[in-house]
Amino acid sequence: MRHLKKLRLLSSSALLSASIVTMGFSSIAMAGKATVALPSGELGATSYDPIRSSKLNTATSLIYDRLVEQDADQSFHPHLATSWTESADGMSWTFKLRDGVKFHDGEVFNADTIVSWIPDFKDTENAFLVAAIKSVEVIDPLTVKFVMERPEPNLLYNLASTFMGVPGQKSYDSLGEEYGVTTAIGTGPFKLTSFEIGLETVVTRNDDYAWASDLSSNQGAAHLESVTFREIPDQSTAFLELKTGGIDLLLGVPTDFLSILKAEKNVGVITMAGTGISYMPINTTSAPFDDIKVRQATALAVNQKSILENVYKGVGSEANHFLIDTLPAGDVKKELLVSFDSAKANGLLDKAGWAMGDGGVRMKDGVPLQVKLFTQNDSDLKRLTQVVQAQLKDVGMDAVITVFDSSTIRDEYKKNAHQLAVRSYDWNNADILEWFFSGTRVGYPNVSMWTDEKSEMLKDTAMTKSTTSAERVANFKAYHEHILSSHLFVPLYQPAQNIAFNKDTVTVPEKVRGPRFRSQTFVDIDVVK
Amino acid sequence: MILKYSLQRLLMIIPVSLAISVVIFLIVHLLPGDPIDNLIRVGSSPEDRIALSAKYGLDRSLIAQYFLWIGQVMTGDFGQAIVLRRPVADLIAQNLPYSLQLGGLAFLFSSIVGIILGIVAWASRNTWGEQLVKGFILLGSTVPGFWLALLMILLFAVNLGWFPVSGARDWTALVLPVLTIGFGGIALVARVTRVALLEVGKQDFITLLHAKGLSRTAILFRHLIPHALLPVVTILALRIGWILGGAVTVEFVFGRSGLGSLLIRALGQRDYPVVQGSLLMLALAVMIGTLIGDIAQAAMDPRIREATK
Repeated sequence: MRHLKKLRLLSSSALLSASIVTMGFSSIAMAGKATVALPSGELGATSYDPIRSSKLNTATSLIYDRLVEQDADQSFHPHLATSWTESADGMSWTFKLRDGVKFHDGEVFNADTIVSWIPDFKDTENAFLVAAIKSVEVIDPLTVKFVMERPEPNLLYNLASTFMGVPGQKSYDSLGEEYGVTTAIGTGPFKLTSFEIGLETVVTRNDDYAWASDLSSNQGAAHLESVTFREIPDQSTAFLELKTGGIDLLLGVPTDFLSILKAEKNVGVITMAGTGISYMPINTTSAPFDDIKVRQATALAVNQKSILENVYKGVGSEANHFLIDTLPAGDVKKELLVSFDSAKANGLLDKAGWAMGDGGVRMKDGVPLQVKLFTQNDSDLKRLTQVVQAQLKDVGMDAVITVFDSSTIRDEYKKNAHQLAVRSYDWNNADILEWFFSGTRVGYPNVSMWTDEKSEMLKDTAMTKSTTSAERVANFKAYHEHILSSHLFVPLYQPAQNIAFNKDTVTVPEKVRGPRFRSQTFVDIDVVK
Repeated sequence: MILKYSLQRLLMIIPVSLAISVVIFLIVHLLPGDPIDNLIRVGSSPEDRIALSAKYGLDRSLIAQYFLWIGQVMTGDFGQAIVLRRPVADLIAQNLPYSLQLGGLAFLFSSIVGIILGIVAWASRNTWGEQLVKGFILLGSTVPGFWLALLMILLFAVNLGWFPVSGARDWTALVLPVLTIGFGGIALVARVTRVALLEVGKQDFITLLHAKGLSRTAILFRHLIPHALLPVVTILALRIGWILGGAVTVEFVFGRSGLGSLLIRALGQRDYPVVQGSLLMLALAVMIGTLIGDIAQAAMDPRIREATK
């Protein structure tokens, strides 16, 4: 694994040499066909079964439609459900279903589909998505009622997940565990034609498609006849494929590559808001970070603006709290936002008894302020960690970096061997706070090792005691503010999502709807005429 | 005689495989990391983690897990991948053809060209030809595969446009990966061939053949090459295991599937059944390769057959 990371780093260097070579483009998006390279995080999916899989990719969103769709601003839009109502006590949801929708195998989509589909999640890794639903009742052929175990204001978010794409029930029931490998039946704008694990997936247009959501301009069948999704692990190779016309669209372009891509006359680049942040959890159980003053000083010593400008050339945005900007629970009190203040950081360390030593490292009772800073063997995270190390040095904290692979580092967290760590997450929901700071997940994923009575109370309220969506936002905001006031982490950076395409072969809508580049945009993509 | 020798060697594979299975199992399970961490997602509860651990038998003792696994393997069942969610045998079967295709062609290419180059280097010893081949051998032994792969892509795919940059769609996509892997192999085979020819060439019977007035060509093809091929065959046989799993970096750069890539991905995710199954396959391939090499040597060298009597 370390070798592969090294390879990626070195191949990136070779990429620079590639950029000086003059090349032309050849048009391959002929006859309405387009080839797309999947982002590195989506490689290795082994099935298109949305119910049983733990990993899915963008192609899944083209095969299956969802009851509701989410936009980038976190709003929800009708899709297979045309409207919905939630009871005042949150104990039931009624969904009106779209008429005239058919699965790829001709099966009709209606209320019976939903009644059969929801119980399929039982005992799967994705059961948590429907855990709050007690039963599904048919009101009429196009109306269903979800009777809830408890109010679940996050239900729409779950229903908009790729994992809740609705599969054809006849096919799903008859194929069992084999479903999703050779056959995947949805109502989506494209049908699965072939799937070679680890290599490529080909989907062809569903000519009957006439039920796109309002996130797409094109309300009919997709313009493209077929889309081939390729799995190319090396980013340099994927970039060269784009340059030579081997692919038309490159999803998940690393920010490092943007300047090279933008210099290419025929490459278009779309930058969308990201769905996660990079951050540095602080182990609250390990001295000197058991002292809140040291934790706060550490948070104030990191310069987010400098990271954005110098490491990421201004692409993305500053992170000043734990959630992405579009989440309303991130709208916290201004005084709780974390931003660089060197003077205050130095003052807090002085107050905590850590006096500046001769070598620029603070000392207390003859012990230097030397801390362990862990990171993963990923070139982007390593570079970010080195910058953080230098910024901590400026306030007299000597952070010693240790690099681990992604599996080993989790064991180190569980062993409580860390003090600081540079990490990132990709999740556009406020419940990420529970994932990383819950007292029931100490070690991993709660790398801050945080256990606190008030936190647990606020978490429980946010997670299970909110009745309406507005109440949920307010509860998560209160939980978020408590976490910020406890100084459990340092926000570092909000990455953007970058997509590059060959302007000679395909046209892509200027404004991309949805939190990610998915089916709602693919139905609008056309070939250059 | 050869049959008896082969049978003896074949039977030895069974205890060696069992010993290797223990080593593989222990190494994989003692590595830090937990496959369940790669399976659970935001939103799932801590109880889900415990249930998943139990579902995949990871809550049992290591000894119980080993006997469960080896019992399954003996019935031809490699188990179910934890993170990749497919039967391990299916994953191996899907990736094996790509490895065999790429590794097999690279093996043939490097063997044939390597032997020819070795002979050319020997025949042109003390001339610029030898220096040229020695330079090539040095380059082939030291150039990293991934760097060569990128150079190949830049030259033949990007600048000249002769071959696709990556993928595995048709034979054209095989040319650059085969050349990349083959380059290193050529250097190894050529070096061994050249050294073996030099060694055999110094022996008394070759001097006698020269004294008897046999032509250089006749000595080379009838006497020198058959003797010199013994160590070359050993090296080639050992490389049979490498055919299956030795192309990881090249698979990575050229965006190809293969057993090596599967193993690396599964190792990163600590998908124990896949890592164990793939490693056992590779170990078997190395053992079979060694066996083939030994049998070939025995067939070519009567002294080896005599020694086993």
